[in-house]
Amino acid sequence: MMKTRQQESCLKKVKLPGKVVSLRERVPFTHEVNIFEKNNLMKPEPPCAGAFKERNTGGTSFKKFYERGDFPIALEHDTKGNKIAWKVEIEKLDYHHYLPLFFDGLCETTHPYEFFARQGVHDMLEHGGSKILPVIPQLIIPIKNALNTRNHKVLCTTLKVLQHLVVSADMVGEALVPYYRQILPVMNIFKNKNLNSGDGIDYSQQKRENVGDLIHETLEAFERCGGEDAFINIKYMVPTYESCMLN
Amino acid sequence: MLMATSVKMPSPLQPKSMTRPTQWNEEVEEAYRFQLAGYRDEIEYKEVRQTEHVDRWPHNGFIKKLVRRDGCFYYYDKTRECPDKQINKTKLYAY
Repeated sequence: MMKTRQQESCLKKVKLPGKVVSLRERVPFTHEVNIFEKNNLMKPEPPCAGAFKERNTGGTSFKKFYERGDFPIALEHDTKGNKIAWKVEIEKLDYHHYLPLFFDGLCETTHPYEFFARQGVHDMLEHGGSKILPVIPQLIIPIKNALNTRNHKVLCTTLKVLQHLVVSADMVGEALVPYYRQILPVMNIFKNKNLNSGDGIDYSQQKRENVGDLIHETLEAFERCGGEDAFINIKYMVPTYESCMLN
Repeated sequence: MLMATSVKMPSPLQPKSMTRPTQWNEEVEEAYRFQLAGYRDEIEYKEVRQTEHVDRWPHNGFIKKLVRRDGCFYYYDKTRECPDKQINKTKLYAY
């Protein structure tokens, strides 16, 4: 069979990845061409990785449900304003439905959503007793989302909620151990976020808004309530953590 | 005689005096919790709600749950809730 001219010319060439090179052709040594120097441009800095940057989490379903009037709670217009008026008894609430929804609201930063989510979680944990433990697996994603916002206010609230959660009922601390992989990475990032004020006064300590301290307290609470496997699992995710019980 | 009939004797459920505490104690905490829910004290709560039962925490006897006049529920913590700046705003009634 006759070969076409085009096919013959192809046979003389060796196919190298990306470029067709003729065998007889002498390939010059390549040299790095800096396009920035060539075009008299400043080389830009590498972009910020953004590990500490705040991240947006669209709208929460808590907000949607609250606006739709799904929660059995009433807004108070008194001067104290630190309580939720429940329209039904907490004991009669379906924890599988409401507790994850309130946890979802922890991502909120605006009033009244932020207040209702925080106070609702607080009341439900304080009065939930044995109803909390079966719901733990459903709480992990909302907790993870809240921590992932990396927002200072949200982090503080969520860490306080976690401290309350582990002491809210028996076995809750142990039940959280398998989920450390989801919860602890953000704590590892912010563990050393502390204010170096020299010899000044750090007022955030008094107000419990110092993220580094809150993370430390939370990890200690996890270790105390998490049973014998807790420490090694925390250490795996947060290598700089030192036990508060073994030493 | 006429005066004696017109003077209305206070009902046994009306308080005779009121004091304001300066320091926190369990009595103040109790009054604070009732007054947050809109009642004077336990006596008025029982009278208004027509009940003898008040929910309390078993370990320290603090109020756990109250029903407000509008039927909503207030839930209270296991531990002290009354902040320092509310202590002298709380009223202790004597009968």
